[in-house]
Amino acid sequence: MDVSSVLESQKQASKATEVQRVIPLDYDLGHLMASDINVLDDKVLGGSDSAALNQYLRKVTREGAQLLINQMFDLPTNPTETSVLATLPEPKLVLPREKHVPKPKTKTRWERFAEAKGIKKQKRSAMVFDDATEEYKPRWGSKSAKNTANDWAVPLAEKDDPFADPRKKVRDEKKERMAKNQRRQQRNQEEAELKDRLPSVDPRAMKKQDLQRALTLTKTSTASLGKFDQKLKDEPRVKGIKRKFKPTADKASNERETSLGLLKQVIDGPKNTVNVRKAVKKTKM
Amino acid sequence: MLHTPVPRSRRAKRALDKRAPLIVENVKKSLIVTGSSTSEWVRDALKDLHDLKKPNSLRYTRKNELRPFDDATQLEQMSRKNDTSLFLFGSHSKKRPNNLVIGRMFDHGVLDMIEMGIEYAIPAEFLDQVKCTVGAKPLFLFQGDAFEFRDDYRRLKNILVDFFHGEFSDGFDLKGFEHLISVTAGPIPEDSDRPGLIFFRVMAIHLKKSGTKYPRVELTEIGPALDLRIRRTKYADEKLWRKATRVPRDLQPRKVQNISRDGLGNKLGRIHLGKQNVEQIPLRQMKAVKKLRAEKAQKERAAAQGTGQAMDVEPASP
Repeated sequence: MDVSSVLESQKQASKATEVQRVIPLDYDLGHLMASDINVLDDKVLGGSDSAALNQYLRKVTREGAQLLINQMFDLPTNPTETSVLATLPEPKLVLPREKHVPKPKTKTRWERFAEAKGIKKQKRSAMVFDDATEEYKPRWGSKSAKNTANDWAVPLAEKDDPFADPRKKVRDEKKERMAKNQRRQQRNQEEAELKDRLPSVDPRAMKKQDLQRALTLTKTSTASLGKFDQKLKDEPRVKGIKRKFKPTADKASNERETSLGLLKQVIDGPKNTVNVRKAVKKTKM
Repeated sequence: MLHTPVPRSRRAKRALDKRAPLIVENVKKSLIVTGSSTSEWVRDALKDLHDLKKPNSLRYTRKNELRPFDDATQLEQMSRKNDTSLFLFGSHSKKRPNNLVIGRMFDHGVLDMIEMGIEYAIPAEFLDQVKCTVGAKPLFLFQGDAFEFRDDYRRLKNILVDFFHGEFSDGFDLKGFEHLISVTAGPIPEDSDRPGLIFFRVMAIHLKKSGTKYPRVELTEIGPALDLRIRRTKYADEKLWRKATRVPRDLQPRKVQNISRDGLGNKLGRIHLGKQNVEQIPLRQMKAVKKLRAEKAQKERAAAQGTGQAMDVEPASP
């Protein structure tokens, strides 16, 4: 059997997809990109014959594209129902981001607690079956079964005050809960902000320190320096500033040094005659 | 960031959340801006490049009095307003005829930009009318060693890839080849600092059967075809670039402990066995050991007898 014709056609076929390059191309298939650093024909590219230039460009580009697409067909594939997906490698060329990397959100106290205890948030349906009315109602909110604010009658327990307004009581309790939650929200926000600014500081310790400082200040703000104020439980003792005096009779060397220092100050005069801070304060803007 | 806007309504909050920085980012959107005076080449180039970048592109067709290299604040403001991070600005003046400025933003501030002059152009409408699908991912081909060895060319390559690469994915449909962006570096004049021409071409890809594993690739030019020359440039400084290319911790490859690879690509493991308890190893019971044990037992018995005898002994009466 003569197979030469088959071989010949095979050769022709491979010729159609083969491209010769001295230096192999650098592929970055993650970006579907190829870079060719082989020498180009500068005479044509720099010449004035635009037809020849475009023809040359088309030829070179076709060859480059052939090499790139050959490389793509060599990639491991993952056939799906409608197409054949080539698995692309990680891109090599580093591209900048459009925005900065987002900062991780500071966790609230509850989130930290839940994490420590292993408490996970569970998905609950928004609607629950209400046995009293035998229909589905929202789990919470103004139309929920739990909301008794608009009920036409309110059952009173034996111990309840019959003259107090039970609705007002419910309202007040809710207000209190909301206020408490808001306080906590604020606290979380403050702590998060502090953590952003000074990551190494424990916000609770810092708060305690601030409170202590404020307490000492108030103690010393009265005329009697807090002597007659009511003492708190476990109140820290306020330490006053101890005045230090130099000994009246000191070593001769020390005495000489201080005297000479004083003399030098007098002779040299003050270094900076303008107190900038005070001057700025006095200047009328 | 100059200031962080505080949303006053839910809707505003949602709009702001949409623009918040992400760990895995969306496709960069481009803003195509027309300058106060333009030439036909510039207008066509802006339109064609906008078409190429669609659907992630926004085009301002009215005149804008901008000079990105003198004062980029207006451009940055536009970027902030439209949440775009790439820009292409076209203008035409006596001093800088047929001018294109291509660049990108980081956090809505200019990261880098390159100004180029169009020295010759064929708009897409005069070329092959079989255009590619909107939003298709292009292939890139950079030809010429300048893209490897010259700083300005290398940066241009980075910007062009960033501009047109489209959505990232780890898979590519092998029937989905649509178009190729080919950028070829012309000869660089040796006697002057002037950079050489850069030939920007866009081709449609047609795959033909070849009888081998690989298809035969044929290209038709769909345009735009632009011959460009780099003019002014502004690059990001080292610090900003490092900030812009930071990889979030969640995307960094995890370091696997105790597994390493040597120079030959062999996988090496380090195993920690902990302390062995030698006392409790069950050894084979040999005769010698048995003998020893028997002796030990005998000794113990003797000792016990000895103490017993001592107890029994009555004190000697005088």
